Amino acid sequence: MKVSTTAYERALSRAKAPAPRAGARERARDAALAEFARVQAANELTSVSQDSGAEPRPSRIEQRRGRFPMFWMQRRSLFGAFASATVVLFATAMLWPVISGRVDLREFTGYETELPAAQPPPARQVAAQPVAAKPAPPEETRAEPLAAARGGARQEMPAPGTQAATSGDRPVIVRPDEKGRVNIRVQPAAEPVAPVYANAKSPAEVAEGFRQLQREQGANRPAPARIVDEIQILPNAQALERKPGVVVANQPQEMDELQESVVVTGARGELHASASRSRLKKDKDLIEARNNAAPPAPPPAGRVVTPEEVQALRRAAEGDDKFQHFDSNPIKRVAEEPVSTFSVDVDTSSYSFVRRMLNEGRLPQKDAVRVEEMVNYFDYAWPRAASREAPFEPTIAVTDSPWNRGRKLVHVGIKGYDVPRDGAPDVNLVLLLDVSGSMDQPDKLPLAVQSMELLLGSLKPTDTVGIVVYAGAAGTVLEPTPVREKQKIVDALRSLTPGGSTAGAEGIERAYQLAQRNFRRGGVNRVLLATDGDFNVGLDSTEELKGYVERQREKGVMLSVLGFGEGNYRDELAQALAQNGNGVAAYIDTLSEAQKVLVDESSGTLFTIAKDVKIQVEFNPAAVAEYRLVGYETRALKREDFNNDAVDAGDVGSGHTVTAIYEITPVGSEATSVDPLRYGANAAPAGARAAEYGFVKVRYKLPDESKSRLISKAIPIGAGSLPVLVEREVRFSTAVAGFAQLLRGGQHTGALTFDDVIHAAQGAKGDDPFGYRTEFVQLVRKAKSARGM
Amino acid sequence: MDDLALIRRAQAGDAAAFSALVELHYDTIHRFAWKWCGHAANAEDIAQLACIKLAASLAQYRFQAAFTSWLYRLVVSCAQDWQRGQRRHDHDALPADEPGDDATRPEDGIYLLQVLEQLGQLGEGMKETALLVHAEGLSHAEAGQVLGVSESTISWRIHVIRKALAREETRTVFA
Repeated sequence: MKVSTTAYERALSRAKAPAPRAGARERARDAALAEFARVQAANELTSVSQDSGAEPRPSRIEQRRGRFPMFWMQRRSLFGAFASATVVLFATAMLWPVISGRVDLREFTGYETELPAAQPPPARQVAAQPVAAKPAPPEETRAEPLAAARGGARQEMPAPGTQAATSGDRPVIVRPDEKGRVNIRVQPAAEPVAPVYANAKSPAEVAEGFRQLQREQGANRPAPARIVDEIQILPNAQALERKPGVVVANQPQEMDELQESVVVTGARGELHASASRSRLKKDKDLIEARNNAAPPAPPPAGRVVTPEEVQALRRAAEGDDKFQHFDSNPIKRVAEEPVSTFSVDVDTSSYSFVRRMLNEGRLPQKDAVRVEEMVNYFDYAWPRAASREAPFEPTIAVTDSPWNRGRKLVHVGIKGYDVPRDGAPDVNLVLLLDVSGSMDQPDKLPLAVQSMELLLGSLKPTDTVGIVVYAGAAGTVLEPTPVREKQKIVDALRSLTPGGSTAGAEGIERAYQLAQRNFRRGGVNRVLLATDGDFNVGLDSTEELKGYVERQREKGVMLSVLGFGEGNYRDELAQALAQNGNGVAAYIDTLSEAQKVLVDESSGTLFTIAKDVKIQVEFNPAAVAEYRLVGYETRALKREDFNNDAVDAGDVGSGHTVTAIYEITPVGSEATSVDPLRYGANAAPAGARAAEYGFVKVRYKLPDESKSRLISKAIPIGAGSLPVLVEREVRFSTAVAGFAQLLRGGQHTGALTFDDVIHAAQGAKGDDPFGYRTEFVQLVRKAKSARGM
Repeated sequence: MDDLALIRRAQAGDAAAFSALVELHYDTIHRFAWKWCGHAANAEDIAQLACIKLAASLAQYRFQAAFTSWLYRLVVSCAQDWQRGQRRHDHDALPADEPGDDATRPEDGIYLLQVLEQLGQLGEGMKETALLVHAEGLSHAEAGQVLGVSESTISWRIHVIRKALAREETRTVFA
């Protein structure tokens, strides 16, 4: 049976709106006129008034691309036009509450204007609408449903209500007096907007606070306040939240109602306070729960916005992508701490994420920049190891530091043994794909599916691929199927459609079961998880999930994580899972990145050649005064962990390169140390050891062994010039490290500029077969202009 | 007096000009608001919200887009705000509480409400797109201007809507 597809179109086009009911037009006009008068008055009184929220909410595209220049210009002209009036009126405004005696000075400690430059990015300027956000309750107020409609001259009683706008991080209180004029006060961030509520322990006390305020404002008929179904939330919502008895989204059943809000009304349903709403973030879990839902919506209009919220909105502007916070490694004195220990990191997701941000014209958040991942994104031509048994040969290179005169850079480069294609072990791969609703974006599920198709090309015909998806429920889409039947796998992949919420943990369990059922002894058994970030159901906590992955690893099934999209990407979790699963975490932002990770470097992604690879460098205090490890902040290990085989560390895949850079300050070659260490305790061969800056030890386990092996090498002083190839690679990795440090704030990079980075990288691109290094140079240029914004 | 002169005067603070502007455009605003929600009282609320918002934001109209486009956008944004406020108060007023009031034939009204509801579930921007294009007869380019997206996005959305609603109708017929 064929059904007309245009029935709804007809219904829409034929839909005839009835004439507005009697009086509706007049009410609307009067309300608008009152608002018009209020706005005019506000404009005359002060230039602080910037009712940005009254503007139609910009589309999401505009929020991103921005109409900022227009916005500023408009503000400036407003400022200019009323500049002189402001000076006089501002003084009046400042003194007004004192003169009138109606405002408790303790309530408002100061007023200030904010020049445009001090404003937060308008893209996330919090909407503030001069009307109550909620239409008033039915019958009583249907005739006059909107509180703000009564603003200004039509007020019988001065509205003590607070109209909220924002200025910077601070709430702005707009308070019409009986003449319809408006005082605008910018609240100091630390000061609660209305102390009468700040100490309230219950909604009733909040209501009492309002009554009190009303009396202070000279209202002669204190109306009994009535709590409707919402609650007044204060600017310092957190303080309120902690108080017992206050109805804040504390109960689990309210978790889906994150936007709990309060309206306190006076008698007859008249709104004396405009609705203030606050998105309450009870704790991280709540935020995480929200992350499953749509991308963060701009906040509703007509509300007081807390500084915390503004922070949250700023974060939202950067996406809700989560990164572990860390501080850059400090400079350490060799005399105090001569030994530096860390785990290798072959993950590259930081670079992809940074690239994505820069391509969108934004500087990435600092915690998203992990120097070592930026450096290790590139494949360096360090001399490679010859055999599977001794899978790497450290390359040591000492050069002058381009960042600080008088310091030197020590490169420790490792290139893993490259498993030849024909000798590659059998692969039992289970793809675990997130098909939740949030994956429904071109750069998420469709890109993941394309990436997986690419991956099939780098597998042997006898390797098997199974597919498990998870969303509202987890399910097996494809039982392990040999790559020979490629079409069957491709069909299964292409049939996937996103929808539902995320049940990550359940999906993981199922994927592991599938991998276990099809276990290949001596082969590679791996779950490859593709997600935009969230696992929120099933196994309760991240820790539990990590433990699970770790136990599975012990049973021989590894886990790698491919991250997609942005908005709620949980980098930290992806990293942790991949690390516990002896796999890599990669962030796929484009198909060419998928090509890099899954095809060009597929063997590295799939085949681990060494696990728990740790590096320990001991510096010679006679030669080195200070040192600083560039990057690896999140990978630091304790000194004693180095020899402890039970301590997990990073893994190196086939052909992977790992590069670590130290910046050292030499003290000269006098071997006069009393240090009870290698160079001090046994004083005999001081002559020989004086020629070393330090000593590098690399500990690793072969994939199927549990006892670690050791490779060690000295860092020579004055070893002569480096091989040309190594020298070039050192220059490039130095450029990348410099860039990454600049993005992190450049505490240790002296006068280094983006231009210096471009110059250095340009000269060290080499043959650049895949164009990654050229892309890097372009990225630095983008960072330059992003900074200029 | 034409729109632009009225707007200029209103922007300069002339209350009479602003009042005339609201008079002139109230019908457009109300009509769109009604099509948005299919409910008389709610439409009046949205329209009133939009008028108030117009007062507050008229200064920001910069004569770059057609005034009607700008106005549509303002109403769309008010309607979205209203709906967001309403979603938490579904018990306040169910659209179905005034059947027959809304259309010439009752079944038309009910069908329209169903269509509106389905459109509302399709995701951000879909309902707005369908209303602007089908109910208000805007071209894809104009609708794109109102919603701040490209013309091709509008075309794509219309395509998606058509597919989704056709599926919905098929299901209804077979059910």
